[in-house]
Parts: sequence; structure tokens; C-alpha cells
Amino acid sequence: MAEISFRNVTKRYGQTVAVDDASFTVADNEFFCLFGPPLSGKTTMLRLILGLERPDEGEILIDGRRVNEVSPARRNIAMVFQNLALFPHMTAEQNVRFPLVERGETEAVIAARLKDAAAKLHIGHVLHKMPGQLSGGERQRVAIARALVRDPVAFLMDDPISALDARLREETRVELKRIQREAGRTLIYVTHDQEEAMSVADRMAILEQGAIRQIGRPVEIYDHPASAYVARLLGAPAMNILPVGMVQGGGGVIRLEGLAPAGTAEIGVRPEDIRVGAHDGHGAAAKVWEVEPLGGTTVVTLDVGGRMLRALMRGQPDIRVETPVTLSVDLGRAHFFGAGGQALRRA
Amino acid sequence: MTAIRLENLVKRFGGFTALKTMDLSIGDGEFMALLGPSGCGKSTTMNMIAGMEEPSEGRILFGDRDMAGVAMGKRGVGFVFQNYAIFTHMTVRQNLDYGLRMARRSKAEIARRTAAIADLLQLGDLLDRPALGLSVNILQRVAIGRSAMMEPAIFLLDEPLSNVDAAFRAVMRTELKHIQREFRQTMVYVTHDQLEAMTMADRIAVMDHGVLQQVGTPLEVYNNPANVFVARFIGAPGMNLLPGVPVEGAEGLRIDLGALGRSVVLDAPLAAAARRAKGSVQFGFRPEQVELVSAGAGLGMTVGFVERIGARTIVHLERDGITAKAVFDNDTRVAVGDLVHLAPQPGALRLFDAESGAALRGI
Amino acid sequence: MTTAEIRKDMPTRPAAREADEGARLGLRLTLPAQLLVLFISVFPLLMQLYISLTDWSPLSGLGWPHAHEMWNGFANYVDVAGDGRLWSALGRTALVMAVCVPVEFLLGLALATLFADSFPGKRVFYSILIMPMMVVPAVAGYMFYMLFQSGGPVNDILSSLLGMPVTVAWLSDPMLAMLAVMVADIWQWTPLMFLILLAGLVGVPEDQMKAATLLGASPWQKFRTIVLPRMKTIIIIALAIRVIECFKIFDTLFIMTGGGPGVATETISVYIYKITTQDLIWGYVAAIALVILLVLSVACVWAMKRMARKGQPA
Repeated sequence: MAEISFRNVTKRYGQTVAVDDASFTVADNEFFCLFGPPLSGKTTMLRLILGLERPDEGEILIDGRRVNEVSPARRNIAMVFQNLALFPHMTAEQNVRFPLVERGETEAVIAARLKDAAAKLHIGHVLHKMPGQLSGGERQRVAIARALVRDPVAFLMDDPISALDARLREETRVELKRIQREAGRTLIYVTHDQEEAMSVADRMAILEQGAIRQIGRPVEIYDHPASAYVARLLGAPAMNILPVGMVQGGGGVIRLEGLAPAGTAEIGVRPEDIRVGAHDGHGAAAKVWEVEPLGGTTVVTLDVGGRMLRALMRGQPDIRVETPVTLSVDLGRAHFFGAGGQALRRA
Repeated sequence: MTAIRLENLVKRFGGFTALKTMDLSIGDGEFMALLGPSGCGKSTTMNMIAGMEEPSEGRILFGDRDMAGVAMGKRGVGFVFQNYAIFTHMTVRQNLDYGLRMARRSKAEIARRTAAIADLLQLGDLLDRPALGLSVNILQRVAIGRSAMMEPAIFLLDEPLSNVDAAFRAVMRTELKHIQREFRQTMVYVTHDQLEAMTMADRIAVMDHGVLQQVGTPLEVYNNPANVFVARFIGAPGMNLLPGVPVEGAEGLRIDLGALGRSVVLDAPLAAAARRAKGSVQFGFRPEQVELVSAGAGLGMTVGFVERIGARTIVHLERDGITAKAVFDNDTRVAVGDLVHLAPQPGALRLFDAESGAALRGI
Repeated sequence: MTTAEIRKDMPTRPAAREADEGARLGLRLTLPAQLLVLFISVFPLLMQLYISLTDWSPLSGLGWPHAHEMWNGFANYVDVAGDGRLWSALGRTALVMAVCVPVEFLLGLALATLFADSFPGKRVFYSILIMPMMVVPAVAGYMFYMLFQSGGPVNDILSSLLGMPVTVAWLSDPMLAMLAVMVADIWQWTPLMFLILLAGLVGVPEDQMKAATLLGASPWQKFRTIVLPRMKTIIIIALAIRVIECFKIFDTLFIMTGGGPGVATETISVYIYKITTQDLIWGYVAAIALVILLVLSVACVWAMKRMARKGQPA
């Protein structure tokens, strides 16, 4: 199986540590996302996988073999660029054939691989067209087909759709997911858009300044973040992180009796887990600071004793600014974080 | 603080018409979003308001003043470019106070205003750093601050958040709204992201291919789109539109949706609207406004793909080549391959004329 | 065959060796060019150094490798320090530089600003503007020689402009000859400044100019605060090129005046030319050349360092 692994990989540029003791394994045929804010090491990791950089420490393994010293050309990993880099003066078919022609493969092999890739990616009917005549989606598929015929171990993509219009991004990410399934290869995908990562990834790695903070299925990470940092990264609006003093039995603004484990410094509540209701004395008193109607949902910013919280309400509730309301928290869904930001188990 | 009026605005570039007869009023102190896909004419409109382009026809008024012939630098507008256009050979402070320096204001006034803006935009620590090499997020704040320093009556922003990373966009949206509220400026904001427009704007002007499609508050364009373009463009995902034919029956009017069967009986206003249609219609309902029901009570479709994105689950459905989407919360358990039945919530149905795309409204 | 296999023939050479290979190939490919540079620059320099320490002349009957037989140590250099004519020549050269380079710069900048926007007939005007640069300097010298004759076109034009006969003997008057030579240089080399500065001007981002306009800056303010600072590097380059070339001024000047009248327009190149071809004291000439090289190099490095410190990156 073509697994790709990092074992304690560290990469430095002068004083800066770009990748910090990173370890993970990407399974065969997995859509794996490297996710994190800018400058968290995602692109450096891609370059390490490709072989454009060599690790200072640790090992990179492909299919169980150490590849630290192997040149990029010999690692057989295909990078698909944001601008696709299709040759504009060749037809789609010629583009797809190109890597094999360059390699000097026989016509029989080329024809077979071409047919296979075209079938997998549903581009058989556009092979005769020039890139300029293809739609954006078709161009993407041709670019991937061109990489696919090289029979690569894996594909890499670095933020390929961030330059597109919002609407196109939503449609293209579903396309990419479909394409990865059809191509049947591992895809390692870098993005800084949390919704995109959650949508496409089979598993994802959350990065912070070169270090991996959590790896897992998007839903797992969303429901059980390992730290306050991870919790804040996934979900929009972001999770509300409150100091424990604000959420406390007796004396605190929001009641959360007995559930906070020892050592809790902060409590995290997702906006969708906050219930906002009419002012009725049960739950915490709050004033509506802002209402953002998104159509299908409404984001309400609440002033709770001077502190701002965001709640996500379904549909279009009748709520106005300055209205006094009562909010309650779905206690079973609260997250607890210690002084260092690490997640704590419920008491 | 000024109201803006665009009257019969047309812009041609050679043989190509970028903007076709645009009429729009923007109120004093209003936050208006110009929303549409690339090439819809929103940036062209903004450039004309700023004075960077001259209209081919029509006029632009700030309050009562016709802006024809008024040069770019004399219109008193603040402009934030998509790529910020920061003076990279100057420091942050020199960027911020550039306008006031060119206007030869007193040192004291410049210092006071710079401090206030730097505080508002959290640039205090960075004032004396060279602008070159600063991160995109900081540059965007400097760009906004630089224009805000001039306290313009009208603030124009051309897709200012498109280069900023996704997480920071949310932060910046809030900051921009605060600035607009603080200074009570008339703000015109160009974007292709409907979420940005919905979150920030008082009203949204939806545009496509140089034509204004609809103007309204976020909820107005969401709840009552004027045509299929607006219906699809607003909302994430956009409205589901299924082709159908109105069919009279014993109990009333239904829509025949081909492979999906027949819809429920339409209520009186909708039925009246459907009868006015000349032929087939587009049967519309929003993905967030459906429920799962038992077989026979709704439209049966197969689950092709499931996106679990944090607080919501987006289900991609398919039946005989017809596609639709539904949005549920995370408690809903559906798997790829399941056959499910959808029923749009009462009041969620919209009808559009299949040919013109225009909404068919009940009386 | 499993489709997801890595090539079995994957070698596992250490990374360092692969990098070395690249460097060695680079060395081999650039070797011819390096030899050429060695031959053209370094070797003649060393040869000159050698000869400058001797009293050699081609009239001595010795081949130059045997110049060491006429060794006289640093005597030539001492003579350089005391050579009055040399220093006057240097002074005149400095004068030409001090006048021509700034004038060419300002004219070039003005023209570049004009050409930054489009106007009718721009292309034609552009071609005409560049033509002086294309003329062989010696031909330009001859052209100006004819123009500045007593009965020549310059005087004719002045006569019709002033309404009275002008019969100035340009090339016979020490000060006017200098002026004429400067005019010739400015005519020929302003286009070069124009081209370089235009390239720099065009590199100023349009968005920043628009932003400045929207912030209320006047054209002059924009020029001063945005265009000039961003053109700093190009300006330094343009000035450096022109200063170095102007120092070497010869062809045009020599054909116009021959260094005269007398030594009124004798710049350093003319002086060296004369003692090389007329007096044939090549040992001394070598010493002069090296002194000038040293002085110019130091001046250049100093000037560039100073500019780099003062200015920000463009």
C-alpha cells in the first residue's frame, strides 16, 4: 500500500522552525488535509513530501521506504498547481499524453493509460479540445488526468481553489472530492479554509506553527477538539471560549453545575449549542448586541455581563438589537480546557 | 455624509457593454453591498462612483451634486483596493497619514487622528514598521485606516477581503461594520461572496452580466428572490430549482416534477401565480427549509454525497439526473446511497417562470 | 502490477552528492565565459600593472615582456602626482560631468514623465527621440563640428532668432568650445537616460498612484512621494552609468575639437590619447590608467553605499 509517513520530521530555516517534530501517516487512497492558519508549516510539509526540501531531522517514508535522500523526480508524487499549468497550444489529449511521451513510453502503454484516465475522470468527450475551450471544471480534470497517467503514488494540491469566487469554490470542492474517489489515489491537500477542509477531507491534520496539534476525521476533531486552539479553528462562527469564572455554579453568569472538571481554566461553547429565548428568568440574562441574518441561520451576538458571545440560531427568528433575552447552554456539549489550553475530560 | 444616486448608468468598453442601464439609490449612511460573480459589472460601477472611470451614459449624484467631470481626487471618497495598494516604500504611519500630509494639516491634528485610527484598527504597535513585508491581514487594516483617516463621506471597498485568509475574514467583517457604525459613512462594498454581503450589508444589490437583478435587504433577497439567478446566488447552498409543469387536479394545482412525481397541492396565492405562467415553471425551495418525511409524503431522492461542515450537514441528492441539496443539523443521520423523502416547509415554496427566470408572485 | 508502487530502480544516493553534481555541471558550462573574462579583464590589468612599474616605451626596442629591464619602481606614480597637465585634464573632465550628467538626467526625467502617458504620435516621437543614441559618436562629432562652424547652421539659427548677425567662433573660443562639446554630449546621451528612467517610471504600480490620487495628492506630490522614491534604484543605476561613461568622453569631443583650442577641451581621455600616440611613454600611461581606475572604483563604491544607506528599497 502506498502510505506516506512523516516520523518526527523537523525542518528549520535559520532560526525559524517551519516544521516541528511532525509525525503522521496518510493511508492509501485517502483524501488528507493539512489545515492551519498561514505560516503554520503546511506548504513546507508539501515541499518536504515532494522532495524540494530535505528534513533536518526525522524520516519521510513512502510505501515503507525512507525517501529523505530521493530526488523529487524519483519520488513519483504529482503536484497539481493552482493555475493548472495546462499547455495552451496542445489539445487536452496531447496534454494528458505529455508526461508519458517525455518518458519515452511505448504507444501501447500511453494509449492504455490515456483511456484509463479519461474514463476515470470523464473527459473522453473533450480530449480533442484545446484548454482554452474547456470549462474550469474540465480543465481541472484534464490537469489531474495528466498527473494520473504518470501513475503517481499520490497527488498534492496547495490551496487550489482559494482564488475562485465563493460560489465556485463550494461547487469545485465537491468536484475535487468526486475526482479523488474516481482517480483512486491518495490526495494530500493544503488549505486554510476550515469549511473546505471539513467538507473534503477523509482525515485532516491541524497545524500550529509547524507542529501537528491533532489528526483525525473532521467530525471527530469538531466534536472533540484536543485544545482550545483547535476548537477555535473549526466552525464558523468560532467557538465561544469563556473564562471559567464566568460559567460557574453560584456567582457566575451562566450556570454549569458540577460538570467542570478540576483544573478547568476555560469553557468552550459552540454557537449552535447556545439557546436564545425570551427573557424569562431561567438561564443567563443577556442583551442582543447584533443580529446578522444569513437567511437559513441567524448569528446573534449577545452581551452577557460585558462579555460577547455568539449564538447561531436556525431560520429567521424575530430578534432585535437591544432586546433583553435569556440564554442557556447545552451543557452536555460544553468543552473544558485547562490552563495550557488542552482539552479536559468531563468530570 | 451623503446619499448616492446612480441614474441610467451605462458603461461600454469598445464593443463590450460592462454595465447596462443601472439605477440605484444608496441612502445616507447606508451599507450597500454590490454582489455578483466575476464580470457582473460591480467593480465597474464602483470605479465610476470613485471617478476612476467615466460613465458612457447616465449620471452619478452625491446628494444633489452631479459628479460628471469631477476629478477622482476631488470627490471626497475613500477607496480600498482589492490588493490594498499600500505604499510599500513607506512605514505604516506614513501610509496612514498620507492623505492628511498631502492636505497639509497641522502636525497635532495628524498625530491625533493617526493615534485614534491606529487604536481602532489595532495598528498601534506597528506604526513605525516599514509596510513592505507585513502580512496581508495587517496590510488590509492599513489600507482601510488610510482611507478612514480622511473621514470621507463615502467609503468604497473593492473586494477587500478576498486575499485575506478565511479565518481572518470573519474578524475583519466585524471590524469593518464597527468602522461604518462609528463614522456613519455611506459604504459601498463590492464582493462575490454572498455570506459577506448578507452579514454586513443593510441592503444588497445583486448583479449579473452588467444588469441589476434585485435590490433589497439581506432577508428580502433571501426570502423573495426576484429571479432564478438571485435564488441560486443567495444562500449557501443556493435555492433548489426543479423543473416542473403546473397541473390542475381535483384538489387543486400541483406541479408535475417528472421523475420526482407530483408536488403537494399549492396554496391559493401560489396556485394563482402558477396559473399565470405561460408554460413550465421552476419549483424552488431552499435547502435549509426542508424536512425529512416518510415515503409517499415528499419527493424521493437518493443521497449522493454528504458534507459535514461543523454545525451543518449538507446532503447532495439526486434522482434521474435531477439534483438538489438539503441542509440539516448534525443530529440527522443519512448515509450515501440512502433513499430519502423531502418535503419543503410550508411557506418555503417559490415559483419561477421557466423561460424568463422571473419570480411568479402570488397576489 | 500494483499501480501505486514507487519505481524499484530508485537509487538512494545521499543528498549532498546530487547537489555537488549540479555545481560541477555549472562550473563546466560557465568555464568558457570565465576564461574569456579572465583574458579580457584580468590579464590586461596585470599586464598594465607590470608595465606601470617600468619606464617602458615601444621605442625602446624591447618586447613588453622584457620591460622589467627598464624598471623604475614607483617613479611613474610620483610623476602622476606632479603632472599639472594631467590634473587640468581631470578638472575639465569633472566640469563636463558636473554639467552634462545633471542636465541629461533632468531632461531624461522630464521626457520620461511625458512618455508615461499616451498622446497622439507617441510612437513616432519615440523613434525620433532615440535616434541620437544610435549615431556613431565619431559621426556625431563630425556633425557638431560642422554645425558649430562660424558660418554654420547654429550661428544661422541664432542670427534669425536674435534678428542680428551672429558669427561666434564656437570651436575657436576656449569657453565656447567647452560649451559646444557639452551640447553634443547632452544631445547624444539624453535618450539613454530617458529610456532607463522610463523603464523605472513604468514600474511604479498604477494602483498606488490611483490610491494617492484618491487621497487627494496633486501630481507633483505624487511624483515626489511615490514616483521618485520607487525609482531610487533605477536612478542610481542611470546616474552611475552616465557618470562612468561621461568620464571617458572621447570620440565626439576629439573629432569636434581635437582637445583644442590648445588644451581648452582636453579631457583626461584626450590627454592619455596624446601621450600614448605622440609621446609613446607607455609605462607612464599605464600608471595614469591604474590611478584613474582606482579612484573611480573607490568613488563608485562609496557613492553606491551612501545611496543604499539613505534610500529604501524601491
